[in-house]
Amino acid sequence: MIVLEPRGKIMGGPDATLLHDKLYEFIQQGRTKVVIDLSRIEWMNSTGLGILIQGYTTLRNSDGQLKLAKVTDKIQSLLTITKLVSVFDAYDTVEDAIASFN
Amino acid sequence: MSAELLRTLCYFLTGGFLIFLAITITRDNFRSRLNRVTGAMLFFAGLGPLFMALGSILAQSATAPLGFEASPIYKLRHLWEFFFPLLLLFSCLFPFDRLSRAGHPYIRLAIFLPPLMHSVIVLFFDQLSSALDIFHVDPGDEGLSSLIVQPLATLFSWLKLTLNVLRGYERSIFAAISIAYVVAAGYFLESGRKRVTNPKILTQTRWVLTGTRIGLGLYLISQIGWLLFPRQFTEGVTSTLLVIALLVGSSLFIFATIRHQFLDVQMVFRQSFVNTITSALLVGIYILMVVQSRAIVARMFGVEAELVSYGFIILLLLFFQPINNWVDDLIRSMFMRTRTDHRNVIERFSRQVISLFDPTQLRQAIEETLKTTLLVNRVYFVLYDDSITEYAMLPSDDHPRRVVIDRQDLMLRGINLLDAPTYYRSLTDYSPGSDLATMLESRNVRMVLPMKDADHLLGFVALTEKAAGYRYSSEDLNLLGVLSNQMVSALTNARLYVESLERTRLQEEINMARQIQLDLLPSNPPTLDCSTICARSTPSRTVGGDFYDFIKIDGDRLGMVIADASGKGMPAALMIAQTQAMIRSEVNNGTPIASMLKNVNQQLAVTTSAEKYVTLFYGELDTRRGTFHYANAGHNYPILARSDGTIELLKTGGLIIGALPHAEYEEDTVTLGPDDMLVLFTDGLSEAMDESEVEYGEDRLRQLVCSHRNEKAHEIMETVLKDVRSHDPTSPPRDDTTIVALKMTRTINAHE
Repeated sequence: MIVLEPRGKIMGGPDATLLHDKLYEFIQQGRTKVVIDLSRIEWMNSTGLGILIQGYTTLRNSDGQLKLAKVTDKIQSLLTITKLVSVFDAYDTVEDAIASFN
Repeated sequence: MSAELLRTLCYFLTGGFLIFLAITITRDNFRSRLNRVTGAMLFFAGLGPLFMALGSILAQSATAPLGFEASPIYKLRHLWEFFFPLLLLFSCLFPFDRLSRAGHPYIRLAIFLPPLMHSVIVLFFDQLSSALDIFHVDPGDEGLSSLIVQPLATLFSWLKLTLNVLRGYERSIFAAISIAYVVAAGYFLESGRKRVTNPKILTQTRWVLTGTRIGLGLYLISQIGWLLFPRQFTEGVTSTLLVIALLVGSSLFIFATIRHQFLDVQMVFRQSFVNTITSALLVGIYILMVVQSRAIVARMFGVEAELVSYGFIILLLLFFQPINNWVDDLIRSMFMRTRTDHRNVIERFSRQVISLFDPTQLRQAIEETLKTTLLVNRVYFVLYDDSITEYAMLPSDDHPRRVVIDRQDLMLRGINLLDAPTYYRSLTDYSPGSDLATMLESRNVRMVLPMKDADHLLGFVALTEKAAGYRYSSEDLNLLGVLSNQMVSALTNARLYVESLERTRLQEEINMARQIQLDLLPSNPPTLDCSTICARSTPSRTVGGDFYDFIKIDGDRLGMVIADASGKGMPAALMIAQTQAMIRSEVNNGTPIASMLKNVNQQLAVTTSAEKYVTLFYGELDTRRGTFHYANAGHNYPILARSDGTIELLKTGGLIIGALPHAEYEEDTVTLGPDDMLVLFTDGLSEAMDESEVEYGEDRLRQLVCSHRNEKAHEIMETVLKDVRSHDPTSPPRDDTTIVALKMTRTINAHE
């Protein structure tokens, strides 16, 4: 079980591929249950959202799961508009997200 | 009398020139055998005229001891005959070294025997003669001792006879031997010339050969003439011919050396040579003038005015420096400013390479310069190849295959440490196990020229030995250093030029893509009876990831799309083009909206990676029924502002397109009444940010649309864009921005 707590903006570019590379590394290690704590994310654009989707797909293809925790209002509205709320499991707290795996 | 004086002067000058040239050439590059042999040859050639001058002076001198010709010192003049075997050696060394293959070194030494014998006979005849008499046996002397002594005495008497014959005919015999040497040397020189390919060496050879031919020709005439017609060819005639031969021969040698870099004598020495000759000539003339000045003054004024002549001397001395400089400049401009002088080479090279951007042409120019000015036989290039990110040795005439060099090659790493042109032989520490070293050795590389910009080795140039066996001098190393710096900037320029061409080409392609994209957008919104529509899309880069489209389905129905691909620029534009094509094809097939989005999503999800997606809104306006039938695939909710001021958001639909396969979509229908306004937009509009990173926001947009709902379609579009620009005036916008506005103009008469 891994909890990631990215900070700042997810805007694409080299920083964003970092998240993807990290997820890939975990999959290589066989750790495929990941929670991303989004409370420290100030802003996310379309590329950033693409990276989240990518992570979700990658983990799912490896029989793993990506869950979101502490989604901010801004990101929540982004997930609502794009209808991704139906795709991502989002939880109010990291603990809830962790508990959902069991 | 004065003819005799002139001849003596000529002897002196010729001898002096030759010995000076000999010293200069030997000193210039003592390590080169060619230089040593040429120097020795010219030195012995110079001895001849010097002794002739001495003899000529002694012959005229009243105080000279009688029979000075028999004195051992004067007899030393025969040493000059060593010139002939040295000439033979020279002819075997220039323009090609054929000596190294000419058998055992003792055989080479054997050619010095005849002049050595001649000198010994001339110098020590008396001593030898008496030494051979020690076994003289009296006739009638009988005994055991005579049995042993007798054969020896006979042998010695034979030897003495031989010695006497040699002594008696020494001139003829040794003249004949010298002629044989001359003929052999002439043959070698001519045969060597035919193999010369380097144009520079060919010029040198031509001048040196001309000098040798004239000199040797005159020598042969004098000697053969003397042998056949001793009466006509007196001592005076032959020695004059000899001096002319030496003077012409040495002058042409000097010319070849100074003007054509014969023996590759360094610039410094060639200059000092010119200086010396100029000063010597000038001082000679001065001394003559000074000596004569007193007589001239006496003749003019009739008195021995000493003061006037002193004044004249001072005047002459005052003018010495300027005149010397002037003569010096004159000679220099005539002989020294050649195409191969280093300053000229650098000037010409930099001018040439500045205008060359084609890497192949550039390499040819570098190779040509190195071959013509430094007389390098072969040039090899090892350059970093960006396309394979490896170093590679480029093909050459003799090795037509390109060879890639391993990055870890020890020799390559050794060369990487160099900063200046370096002899290959000092790099042997790096050769163990190095393929590059094997390659360089098989190509006889002597010199390595690293080409480095700030911290990166662009490659290096490998040079073989120079033509005619010349050596690299310290001057050459300096020149190579400067040239390699210029090569670095030229190669960098060429690379940047190629890159800028590539960039220009890319930019042109992007511009074409933009044109294609503009053509894909509807040029004019369709005109309808019941409504007005207008739209605008502004990309943040040359091409954008937004699009809108209007598709006429039949007389009553109009399809409209607005979409936004994730990301920006070219990748987004490509996705948009694909999406638009799919939508058009589905609409033309008459697929229901929800199924259409499902199909498009399925295709896009399969063909693109999960992080690439499109948010898309599709709606169909039925002008007959006054309905708007739509589905929203994750796109920003379009704003429907009713005429009464209520706001509705068109949310129904499903997931964004292209992210995940197997998504399902719903569709919905709204009825549009008169003066209702529909505004579709992309997030570039709602997410526009001011300086403090505050978003424009959808709420503000909704309120704006609501409060301006009575405006016409194009008016509300301008109002919105103006308000957004006042929030974020960045131009072009930070993100692709698109807006479509639809305004119902009159009541639609519903048939139902």
